[in-house]
Amino acid sequence: MPFLDIIVFPGLLFLLFLAFFCEWLDRKAVAKLQNRVGPKHTGPEGILQPFADFIKLLSNEDIIPAAVDRIMFSLGPILILTLSLMPLFLIPIAGSSALVWFEGDLIFIMFVMTLRIIITFLSAWSSTNRFSMIGGMRVILQMLAFEIPLTIAMTGPAISARSLSLSKIVQFQASEHLLLLAQPLGFVIVTICLLAELRMVPFDIPKAKTEIVKGWFVEFSGKKLALLRLTEDFELVLAASLMVSLYLGGPIGPWQTQSVLYFFTKLVICILILSNLRALFARFRIDQALKGAWKYLTPLALIQVILVELMPMVIP
Amino acid sequence: MGLISWARKKSPWALHFNTGSCNGCDIEVVAAFTPRFDLERFGIILQGSPRHADVLVATGPVVRQTKDRLVRIYEQMPNPKCVVAVGTCAISGAPFTGSYNIHGGIDKVIPVDIYVSGCPPKPEAIINGLIQAIKKYEKKQ
Ligand code: SF4
Repeated sequence: MPFLDIIVFPGLLFLLFLAFFCEWLDRKAVAKLQNRVGPKHTGPEGILQPFADFIKLLSNEDIIPAAVDRIMFSLGPILILTLSLMPLFLIPIAGSSALVWFEGDLIFIMFVMTLRIIITFLSAWSSTNRFSMIGGMRVILQMLAFEIPLTIAMTGPAISARSLSLSKIVQFQASEHLLLLAQPLGFVIVTICLLAELRMVPFDIPKAKTEIVKGWFVEFSGKKLALLRLTEDFELVLAASLMVSLYLGGPIGPWQTQSVLYFFTKLVICILILSNLRALFARFRIDQALKGAWKYLTPLALIQVILVELMPMVIP
Repeated sequence: MGLISWARKKSPWALHFNTGSCNGCDIEVVAAFTPRFDLERFGIILQGSPRHADVLVATGPVVRQTKDRLVRIYEQMPNPKCVVAVGTCAISGAPFTGSYNIHGGIDKVIPVDIYVSGCPPKPEAIINGLIQAIKKYEKKQ
């Protein structure tokens, strides 16, 4: 039943639930690390908080300021949401092959992520606000800089598995070993780059709240803001599940078993890693972040790829 | 309608604006968001942009310089919205009443829903005020 797969499990509804769950987990974990309680009174332990935020924003007034470019301003959030949802269908969640997969879907995911940056910039630019313009410029600078080490590091697993498809990489890990053991450096690089792609705290330069208010989404309100926040949740899920499928073997458990529960556990661990980093660091300046990406992460990613190529020759 | 008013009750986002206070009230408002009092328990998050906020937490008397800005920020907020005036100054202008550059309390300029008195009010009082504001906000259409 492909239709049921797409709508219910592991399709849209499941992903929506997962996205809200991940936001709640992230907020709760950061609150715990900061010695707070976090959302508490919305459902049991505040688990319904992201859902309540979403519904409230949907019901709020949707303001379109007079100065904005109406078409791009209205289309932007919808396009960004679609583009962040699309790669999730290529992630193997329930079994070792995804809902949709083809040779080269890793490249497709990278392509969609780059496209998303451009749309983000366009919608920031079209809101004609000083803060959102600065935010938009920073989005372009930061995300394009971190895209390069991310792409290079992601070729590591692809070279090991001799395939450019996420599902094949997961199947390789099922038959051989987890790629985290072979390429720990790559895992670290991918984690840092994904943190930057998610614009989470050490890299929340494009939307620095205390400095440029909320950066590129300062003018969005009501439904558009709801969609943008949902996009951020989907991006969190996407980042964590990329880490899971590339390095931790996706839904593969011990003794060759496969279950969505394994995927879920690994996803929770990855999100806890991300929120731990988020609570640990303070924001970098834009020049520091770019210097880090070009000077350190890119060479390290190249070294990782060279190591992946050389390893089989040294240790047969 | 039940779902929407439930959602509104559970996630009122606040915007803090200083209309000319002596900074005493602002410190107390910020204190209400610190780990000790943690307003995120009730789903209240401090927002940076008026477009994202539902509750305007205004402190201090309205001085000439901030009057236009206050009105503009109020108009930038999406409907439904409510305003909490924190501190005696925000209620009436208190020690600064009659000064040449003072308009008086916040309600001289924009409609206020909840008044929190004190100079400065304790964080507990501010939390109570915000909860009263949530009750009012939930009923707004
Ligand atoms: S009420 Fe008191 S603490 Fe608050 S702004 Fe006025 S003088 Fe300052």
